[in-house]
Amino acid sequence: MLSYIARRLGGGLIVLLIVTFLGYALIGLMPGDPIDQMLAGNPDLTPQDVLRLKAIHGLDQPLLDRYWAWLSSALNGDFGYSRLYRQPVGEILIPRLGASLLLLGTALILSLCIAVPLGIVAAARANGPLDYLVNLICYAGISVPPFWLSLMLIALLAVPIAWIPAGGMGDPDLSMWQRLPYMLLPVTALTLSAVGGFTRFLRGAMLEVLSEDFMRTAKAKGAGPYRRFVGHALRNALLPLITLIALSFGSLFSGTLIIETIFGWNGMGRMIFEATMGNDFNLALVALIVTTGFTLIANILADVVYAMLDPRIRLDGAAGDDGGSAT
Amino acid sequence: MISPRSRRILRRFVGHWPGMASAVVLALLCLTALFAPQILTILGLDPFATDLFLLKAPPGPGHPLGTDEAGRDVLARLILASRASLTVGLTTALAASAIGTLIGLWAGYFGGRVDSILMRLTDGAIALPLLPLLIVLSAIDYAKVGLDGLNEGSGLARMVLILSLFAWTTVARLVRAETMSLKTRDFVVAATALGATPGRVLRRHILPNVLGAVIVATTLAIGNVILLESVLSFLGLGLSPPTPSWGGMLTNAQNTLWDRPELALWPGLAIFLTVIAFNFLGDGLRNALAARENPAAGR
Amino acid sequence: MIRPVAAALAGAFALLFFVALSAPQAEAADKRRLTIGISQYPSTLHPSFDSMMAKSYIAGMARRRITTYSPEWLEICQLCTELPSLEKNTAAYETTPDGKPGMAVTYTLKPDAVWADGVPITTRDIAFTVEVGKNPETGIDNAELYSRIDSVDILDDKSFTLHLNKRTCDYSGLAGFDILPAHIERPIFEQGASEYRHRSAYDTDPTQPGLWHGPYRVARVTPGQSILLERNPNWWGARPYFDEILVRAIENTAALTANLLSGDIDMIAGEVGIPVDQALSFEAKHGADFKAVYRPGLFYEHIDLNLDNPILQDSRVRLALLTAIDRDAISQRLFKGVQPVAHGNVNPLDVRYDATAPRVAYNPDRAAALLDEAGWRMGGNGIREKDGQPLTLTIQTTAGNTTRELVEQVLQNQWRAVGVDIRIENEPARVLFGETISKRKFTGLAMFAWLSAPESIPRTTLHSSQIPTAENAWIGQNYTGYANPEMDRIIDDLETECAETDQARLWSRLQHLYAEDLPVLPLYFRSDPFLMPKNLTGVRPTGHQYPSTLWVEEWRLND
Repeated sequence: MLSYIARRLGGGLIVLLIVTFLGYALIGLMPGDPIDQMLAGNPDLTPQDVLRLKAIHGLDQPLLDRYWAWLSSALNGDFGYSRLYRQPVGEILIPRLGASLLLLGTALILSLCIAVPLGIVAAARANGPLDYLVNLICYAGISVPPFWLSLMLIALLAVPIAWIPAGGMGDPDLSMWQRLPYMLLPVTALTLSAVGGFTRFLRGAMLEVLSEDFMRTAKAKGAGPYRRFVGHALRNALLPLITLIALSFGSLFSGTLIIETIFGWNGMGRMIFEATMGNDFNLALVALIVTTGFTLIANILADVVYAMLDPRIRLDGAAGDDGGSAT
Repeated sequence: MISPRSRRILRRFVGHWPGMASAVVLALLCLTALFAPQILTILGLDPFATDLFLLKAPPGPGHPLGTDEAGRDVLARLILASRASLTVGLTTALAASAIGTLIGLWAGYFGGRVDSILMRLTDGAIALPLLPLLIVLSAIDYAKVGLDGLNEGSGLARMVLILSLFAWTTVARLVRAETMSLKTRDFVVAATALGATPGRVLRRHILPNVLGAVIVATTLAIGNVILLESVLSFLGLGLSPPTPSWGGMLTNAQNTLWDRPELALWPGLAIFLTVIAFNFLGDGLRNALAARENPAAGR
Repeated sequence: MIRPVAAALAGAFALLFFVALSAPQAEAADKRRLTIGISQYPSTLHPSFDSMMAKSYIAGMARRRITTYSPEWLEICQLCTELPSLEKNTAAYETTPDGKPGMAVTYTLKPDAVWADGVPITTRDIAFTVEVGKNPETGIDNAELYSRIDSVDILDDKSFTLHLNKRTCDYSGLAGFDILPAHIERPIFEQGASEYRHRSAYDTDPTQPGLWHGPYRVARVTPGQSILLERNPNWWGARPYFDEILVRAIENTAALTANLLSGDIDMIAGEVGIPVDQALSFEAKHGADFKAVYRPGLFYEHIDLNLDNPILQDSRVRLALLTAIDRDAISQRLFKGVQPVAHGNVNPLDVRYDATAPRVAYNPDRAAALLDEAGWRMGGNGIREKDGQPLTLTIQTTAGNTTRELVEQVLQNQWRAVGVDIRIENEPARVLFGETISKRKFTGLAMFAWLSAPESIPRTTLHSSQIPTAENAWIGQNYTGYANPEMDRIIDDLETECAETDQARLWSRLQHLYAEDLPVLPLYFRSDPFLMPKNLTGVRPTGHQYPSTLWVEEWRLND
């Protein structure tokens, strides 16, 4: 088991390396640079200034050389300065990571709080009217374009209700409690779009468990519905759900881009977007490493946990040195 | 003509009324998209003609849903936009499913080093933050890498290509898992023992059994892609004007949010209904194609 | 096991809503605070790096320029006592050490000007700023200004003479010169010029009072979110009305207007705010609750024509393209008249504007006749042809800029009406400006805006030496490829023949020539929409690149 995890981690590092190269190459392939746009907006600037500034940012060097220079200093622990924010990369990244985790964490907990009861009800009354109603609610949440939902929330809640801020994170010296009003709308938007997927997944997983033999046995033995649904089915169905969340961790970070932009929340999504569009290689790549790293680790954990629970899956086969015989 | 199994599936599907209703709605929508030019000719509406003297007009004669910020007929644009939105959704989902199925079958059946490499590739593709990469890919100069054609036109082909590059991983994982589990089932083992080639086993025994799951996943993916198109439009990376798409119309409606909120309502509603219908359709299909009866279904 | 967890979660959920409902307003009621919404957050507060409007806007409250343009578009002194002039002997012609014609200009800083920590603003700061600007390793934006300064003579604590290696007629202005506090920044700069841009106190410790000298100083910076300014006790001018000004950045402009409605912000800045069509939509519904002011400015929206394209080389085709579009209707209908039609590159508010320059009116019949004359005959499908070639041109603009895309589609329709087929191929701003336009890769029409300063000579856009090519490393902004010896001569003369009569004559001829040659299709001058509280007075929108906040001490609320 340990050697398996070590191998997976090794593989993960290689994936990470490839991801950084791909990221660097892709950003580098985008034509133009924000410096070019400065020219149109500032009458004092001359094209000579643009060439000089590009040389200062190293943009006149070949892409591969620049990647190599970045990689060697990154491996020495020096991630450099962000070009956009003029600060060391870590100083920008860490508060934003915190802000993202606060938003995502709250939304995740809230979504689970709603999804779990809804999923139980839907599974218990599968294909009945109540199930259809839950379905409708779920799909409604999934099917609304996120920016439209966010703007509607602002127009319908923040504008008429004075104490709900339409955006921002509040003053930096606010306590956690004072920050709650600022979190209300972005958390609501994120929750509304996440609840549907979770509920649907939970319903499916519970139905799967309910159809297993041991559940029939439990029912035959006279176990009550609460015990059957919550005690057995839910417990077995929650694990895959948590795995699902873990697997999509990376995309969760960047997927909040729209909501962060509209509500003016300074999280990772917006930062990754701005860094990418602003040719801020140092910042974009470290953000990429963080989100990819999160996902890869979650991935490995998920596979390990699955293997521990399901003896039919053998890790060695998945690791790829078993020759993969059909029997 | 129709095998008993197909008949059973059909009966089950028709019995699932939300799925059935969605199928009807989507069929109508596809017909609308397919015959959009003819419909517009019959209605006498022009989705491109601007009228500076009839900007943001309320619904009235000649313009059933009013006009937009350039004085164009909103209904005509909604109808024509169904083309772009559905084309992006359908082609992307189909392309992604085809890639995903092939990779999943291969990885699940043969295992070994191929599986390992393919799955690391999938890991990588899942781990990459989707949105920023989509954005980078839409901004890339394709002439530089020898794909001249992708820079042309409204960008539909480019958008489909980029979105499919990311959407295949879900299907690949799903198919791989199913294949791995099917591979150990008696009928597959028996076929292999009787000397069937891997190609035949995959084609005759495994593919038909994973197809159900693939169809469901594809249906759900269509909805996701339509939503993604709207997000890309919002970020200014959608289809090039004057080609209308629902996402683009919704994005433009931000400018008239205060005096004409209806302009945001119609495309928003169109996206909402289409995506929700695809979800219910997927539901109905899953229900109909499920290998075993749901134990709770008969209660 | 599940039950207690679920109960705890439910409890937390309930608590969250309870707290949210009973949340106290975190507003200090006793302070006069103005909250301004802008749509961009400045990347740095250092005045010499990364020039962008959001930064100029904030800096306007906390810093002053040596000279600037007033809201009436006249050059004025802000940190100096008097503009240098040849008549008063504060400016003089001289010869540079290497024998070229040069100039000496003398300024005196305001005697009571001090940094917000009480340290006087002196010529020490001037000398330091020039040193930073001239050092090639620093990497400031407009090094051009500093390369023109050969040397500085310090006359006393407040007076200095700049020796310039170029003679120009606009010698009196020093607007691009951003004075830096030597007592704070010099020790940092001396640790290494190339590292200075990372280490400057403007980035590492921006709330140090000594960095600022305006009516306000920066009191708190929340990166990416907001900047709080508080009254500067050492400000030497009129005492500003507001105790605090909070500038909040909200990038999505629809959300920005929603924040105004919900009361989270009090006003939206015109300089870095919302597009004019969004403001008009907002005003149509909520105009009674706010004051909306539109100030047409120096953002000149136009279409560059690539003159290498054989179709566009024919001046009749260029004129036909302009005659075929109804710019008045676009201005009146789409923008309710707040964005005036541009008939040339000089803004009517500029003192150099010549109203007698030719104007082109909307006349589709004339456009059709011109195209016929040029040999483009109407084809069967409604598109003109010549020698079997259809009259098809490509237009490109910044993708995602909804206003430009809107105008673009209206124009496409109007051109189509006279038989010109226009294809739209928009690109993200960075691609368009970084590649397509700057390397002249556009084949037909490119629609974008120039921001120019008042009275700025259009050398980089109209002089034939400024056509970007691979040989000159794509330097220059004459993207159309316009080359007319007379225009080159006018531009050269404008820089050297400073007598008022010469200037007036040259500027007039320039505008006539521009309208005759039509290297560019002028569209309209963009307006900055200011949405403000009804009782806020004293805000004077400028319309040029020097923001209204440079006069922030005049802002007040009437009861």
